[in-house]
Amino acid sequence: MKKTMIAGAMGALFALGAGNALAAAPDWSKVEAANITIFYPGASPMEWIMKGTEHGGARALKKGETCADCHSEETADMGPRMATGQKIEPTPIAGKAAFIPVKVQAAHDGENLYMRFSWKQPAASGAPAPAKDDANPVKIAFMLESGGKVEMADQSGCWATCHTDSRTMPGAAETKTKYVKGGSLADGKFFDLYQWRSGENKAYNGYIAEERVMEGGDALVSAEGKQEGGEWSVVFTRKLAGGQGDVSLESGKSYNFGFAIHDDSSAGRFHHVSLGYKLGLDAEGDVKAAKQ
Amino acid sequence: MSDRNDDNLKQEDSGGLLARLRRPSRKSLGGLLSVGFIVGVLFWGGFNTAMEATNTEKFCISCHEMYDNVYQEYKETIHYTNRTGVRAVCSDCHVPKDWTHKMIRKIQASREVWGKITGTIDTREKFEAKRLELARREWKRMKASDSRECRNCHSLESMNTESQKQRARKQHEMAIEDNMTCIDCHKGIAHHKPEGMTEEDEE
Repeated sequence: MKKTMIAGAMGALFALGAGNALAAAPDWSKVEAANITIFYPGASPMEWIMKGTEHGGARALKKGETCADCHSEETADMGPRMATGQKIEPTPIAGKAAFIPVKVQAAHDGENLYMRFSWKQPAASGAPAPAKDDANPVKIAFMLESGGKVEMADQSGCWATCHTDSRTMPGAAETKTKYVKGGSLADGKFFDLYQWRSGENKAYNGYIAEERVMEGGDALVSAEGKQEGGEWSVVFTRKLAGGQGDVSLESGKSYNFGFAIHDDSSAGRFHHVSLGYKLGLDAEGDVKAAKQ
Repeated sequence: MSDRNDDNLKQEDSGGLLARLRRPSRKSLGGLLSVGFIVGVLFWGGFNTAMEATNTEKFCISCHEMYDNVYQEYKETIHYTNRTGVRAVCSDCHVPKDWTHKMIRKIQASREVWGKITGTIDTREKFEAKRLELARREWKRMKASDSRECRNCHSLESMNTESQKQRARKQHEMAIEDNMTCIDCHKGIAHHKPEGMTEEDEE
């Protein structure tokens, strides 16, 4: 009797889990996609971005404009300038893809947030990146921030984590990771970080505060990536609720959002990045996650 | 007798010349005016022609200091070549169009002749070493005149920001709001920016 009850309870739990798993798969063909072109940024840390003698937009940022206000329509024109070494790239990679158009879809079901990224695999550069990750030909990461507590997060998205002394920047120490100014989990000054790696076929849930921490987050449920006919698609599933180092998500609110792809077995700064955007849960945003 | 006659003649002569000068005939007055007019035209025309000759690109780049440095950089820019075929030469940006300001600028430019004679920028190294100082002087002049030379061709009022690219549109809309002047942002539009610029140079 006892065994039957346990088996029954387990069966019920299993069925519930299977039910959840079924509910967890939005029909992506019905979810609106935001087309965001990410681009090769060269060596353009925040310190460069905010320097008026180098970047004419520094003045606009100081006035409160966002990166996207000026650049959202021209990322595909910006990428080639850095990828070819014409601008702010001291070590250009021959044949490096200059930009990648990505479709970003999001949905939630009151319990989980689902994010789907899909893009066409760009041609390989044929030259090694100065910083390489041979184990993972492709990695995709996205970051979330809540409330603009991190300085510049509202305006520049995850660029706020990118600094001139972070590893792989020219002359920077290999030991220093990304970080945010005055980063503190206790004060909510952090970016919540999710990454999927193709070689390891593994997902990471960390955060960036005083430094980058790749693991330890509670929100990530799963991340699945696949490549079919040269098309990549990666789906992240995370709980709306989160623990320490996770941004807890609520319906009706918008969050700072940015993402990056490490293509061609590259590492560190040799990635393609998005400008800072907003993810809205049943709310306004460049990427909207509506309840399914 | 003859002496007296001679004296009389002299007196008549001198009296006549003085009298004629005091009361010039219409012919001599006309002649004088005509000569004066012609000399004036020749002088004025010659002066202006000579001054205009110093306003040509050919004149500016006849000095290797200009030809080797700033001219080569300018040739890479939209002010040298563009889809419409309109070109702004050195003087279009660096010399005022109206006569008064042009004269003031030309007098100031005499200092550049001294610089040429003493060779203050006669090598690439000397030019680069002095470049920031020279650029700052020109930026100050442009700022003080509210970018008058830029505005001979451009104005925010006649700009259709709608047909501009997103970034230019945003920046020009902010420039209108903040009552800015062209050179506030457009430093280095026709030449490379100097090394060593500070944040103050961008304000």
